[in-house]
Amino acid sequence: MSTTSQKHRDFVAEPMGDKPVTALSGIGETLGKKLEDQGFDKASVVLGQFLLLKKDTEMFTDWLKDASGANSRQAGSCAQCLKEWCDAFL
Amino acid sequence: MASTQITDEELFSQLKFYGFSPGPVTENTRPVYLKKLKKFLEEQQQQQREQRGKGRGGSTGAPRPGRHDVRRLSSGRRPGLKSSVLGFSSDESDAETPLKRTALDYTKRTGRNQNQPPAEANRKAALKGDSFPAPDGQPAAALGRGTGNRSRPDGEELSDEEEPNSRPVNGRRSAPLSSSKLAGDYSDSEEEEVGAPGGPEPDRRSLELRRISTAGPFGPHADGRGSRGKNCSPPGSRSMAGGREEDGERMRRADLEASGGSGRHMFPRKPLYVPLDPQSRPCENNHVNSEEGPPRRSSAGTRQRFPAYRSPAPGGFSNHSPLPNHAGPKKKVSAPEDDLLLQFHREGQGPSGSFSAHYLSMFLLTAACLFFLLLGLLYIRMRGSGAPGGEGLIKSHPFGSDFDASYDEAEREVILKLLLSLHDHLAVVAGHHDCGDQRFPNRSLSREKVAEYLEAQDGAFKGFIDVSLEWIIRTNQDVGIRLSGSDDPVTDVSEISWLESTHPRMPFACRFRRAFLSVVSKVVLVVVVVGLAWSAVCYVKHRWRREEEETRQMYDMVERIIDVLRTHGEACQENRDLEPYLPIPHVRDSLLQPQDRRKMNTVWNRAVKFLSANESRIRTETQTIKGADFLVWRWIQPSLSCDKSKVWQGKAFPLDRRNSPPNSLTPCLKIRNMFDPDMEVGDSWDVAIQEAILEKCSDNDGIVHISVDKNSKEGCVYVKCLSAEHSGKAFKALHGSWFDGKLHAEVTGSLWAVLPD
Repeated sequence: MSTTSQKHRDFVAEPMGDKPVTALSGIGETLGKKLEDQGFDKASVVLGQFLLLKKDTEMFTDWLKDASGANSRQAGSCAQCLKEWCDAFL
Repeated sequence: MASTQITDEELFSQLKFYGFSPGPVTENTRPVYLKKLKKFLEEQQQQQREQRGKGRGGSTGAPRPGRHDVRRLSSGRRPGLKSSVLGFSSDESDAETPLKRTALDYTKRTGRNQNQPPAEANRKAALKGDSFPAPDGQPAAALGRGTGNRSRPDGEELSDEEEPNSRPVNGRRSAPLSSSKLAGDYSDSEEEEVGAPGGPEPDRRSLELRRISTAGPFGPHADGRGSRGKNCSPPGSRSMAGGREEDGERMRRADLEASGGSGRHMFPRKPLYVPLDPQSRPCENNHVNSEEGPPRRSSAGTRQRFPAYRSPAPGGFSNHSPLPNHAGPKKKVSAPEDDLLLQFHREGQGPSGSFSAHYLSMFLLTAACLFFLLLGLLYIRMRGSGAPGGEGLIKSHPFGSDFDASYDEAEREVILKLLLSLHDHLAVVAGHHDCGDQRFPNRSLSREKVAEYLEAQDGAFKGFIDVSLEWIIRTNQDVGIRLSGSDDPVTDVSEISWLESTHPRMPFACRFRRAFLSVVSKVVLVVVVVGLAWSAVCYVKHRWRREEEETRQMYDMVERIIDVLRTHGEACQENRDLEPYLPIPHVRDSLLQPQDRRKMNTVWNRAVKFLSANESRIRTETQTIKGADFLVWRWIQPSLSCDKSKVWQGKAFPLDRRNSPPNSLTPCLKIRNMFDPDMEVGDSWDVAIQEAILEKCSDNDGIVHISVDKNSKEGCVYVKCLSAEHSGKAFKALHGSWFDGKLHAEVTGSLWAVLPD
């Protein structure tokens, strides 16, 4: 995606620290709740999953769609957000 | 499938075998990797099948079940016909957005799912053969399944992905689903899958038929596409069968089906996007219009196209089949393209209509201009010929009744005719003279010339010249002839020497020219005056704006200088080696780029002047630096102790679990160390403190009361909130913050029955 949302920019701008999973770009209330129910209560845990999948955005997108019922756009946005965060801070 | 019982290590190694480097297989990543493995397997199978298919010259076993499908379809779909119509009413609004999204998804998945459909299709074809014996049972089951998964939002993407996986599952409905998670996730697609046999409309049926009947290498494709559910028909039936909310999905399927039906799977997906839209439209039309009677005709129309291609298709499943198949899809594509062309033609008339409109407006404009021009000319001409013409019309004359009485009619007539001709002649003379005609150097005619002229006109005039002249003199009104003589005014006929016309009649061209010139000159004058005024105004505005800009730049520069000096001053405080002043040229050079220095010179000078005059914190002095004299600025550190504003100055320690309780116990907070009662001066410092607290907790709307205990030695402030939760929030905001140079910590948990007031 060439244009990024404010949420994306906010997330990628600083270390995620203890941010909740809803701070991720593309993850709203509903999806966040679903992820939390599965144990992904913080953005860092989702980052963990992303890293487990070897930072492959495609696989991560697939996983996210499975796990939370996100659509392509939301999952892609989240993956992109995490990828950029990793590029900046990891 | 065996993959469901695969172990982690096996999964890992299999993925590596396909050249993919997976991460660790954990409970979370397992399903993802399973999917990936399945994809690899299908790709492999599809490749094998391709090779096999090519070997057999285009006809494989796949088309046969397709044919069976055809027959079964035709029997099985009829009952669902009506229901498929009903469900579309809610689609229309969803039609557009999913279309775009589907196209997007579609192109996105080009790379990934390049060769999948055929592989899936083969399985699907076999599947369909199995499932058809009980078409009615399936929709019912699908219904049940579908309603169970209503909560899943936007599962369409998911179902797209999972269809390949669900298909084998679907085929063996009796067999239990291998992994519960898969089932839970994939049942959406399964439901759609199952719903496919349920009733679409006849045209969609024929679409499906045609699609399926495209045999040969396209057969599996078509089936695969159809089975993926990207058809006009299956989505429709599915939605009807399930009463699904995801109508958009159906529309999306519609698009993709249309493209699928075109049978161009072999080609890269991207170009398919193009026929996507035109394809979608007829499909869409069919959908949207399905409930109305007349559009039935359109569906019938589309239907007509298909049977034509159905016949050749079953006919040749060998090498001939690709040809009609090609023709078929191409014709189908061209049909919607015709629609498109038709629409363009209709729009094409629009532009031509607009052309004529353009010409029309131009024509009207020119007509109006011509009209006004003619009007003006006419007016001028009228003005030119002011005198009444005609010989027998000299009834009115300005001489009064005496004239009538003195002469009889014939004489009167002669006299009047004489006067008229004299008047005309003089007018012509004067007019020509005014026009600059060289034939008449004098505006007025001498008496002799007048007599000559009049006698030349009519011999009868001779005797009456004097009489008429006398009458002219006698009359008080203006007859258009001015008589001038040696002394003015002329009182006697004998004194007349010159006759001149007061109403000169100029030739038309001359008149027009003069009018035009006068008008133009007046207009030019007005324009010039207006232009001068406007340019003056513009100039003044420009100057004013420039002034403002310069002032703004100057203030900006002043601020920057102050910042630099302040930071330098603070650095000096920490580092005693630095001089506490800065030379002015150094400051300038550090602030301004070399290329800007000349431009900003005036601004800089103004800033310097401003600083020396108005800024009390900076002192200008002369210092010797390394032997050279410089004008320097010294930053004078203001004392902060006299700053009475109560400010928050940041947090002393981060709020974490160690030094803050997890939640507040009571709705009341006590804040210590906010102030020193002995040191506070002024009347309203407690109000200032209250305001500061409110500001800090600006997002907290649950603060009921703040009370500053003026007498407490500890500097306590009591805050009462609406609830424990609110007080917890306030606690988090305030705890550990520096305020006015004091760190204050809070104590919670104190319960007051009565707040000290």
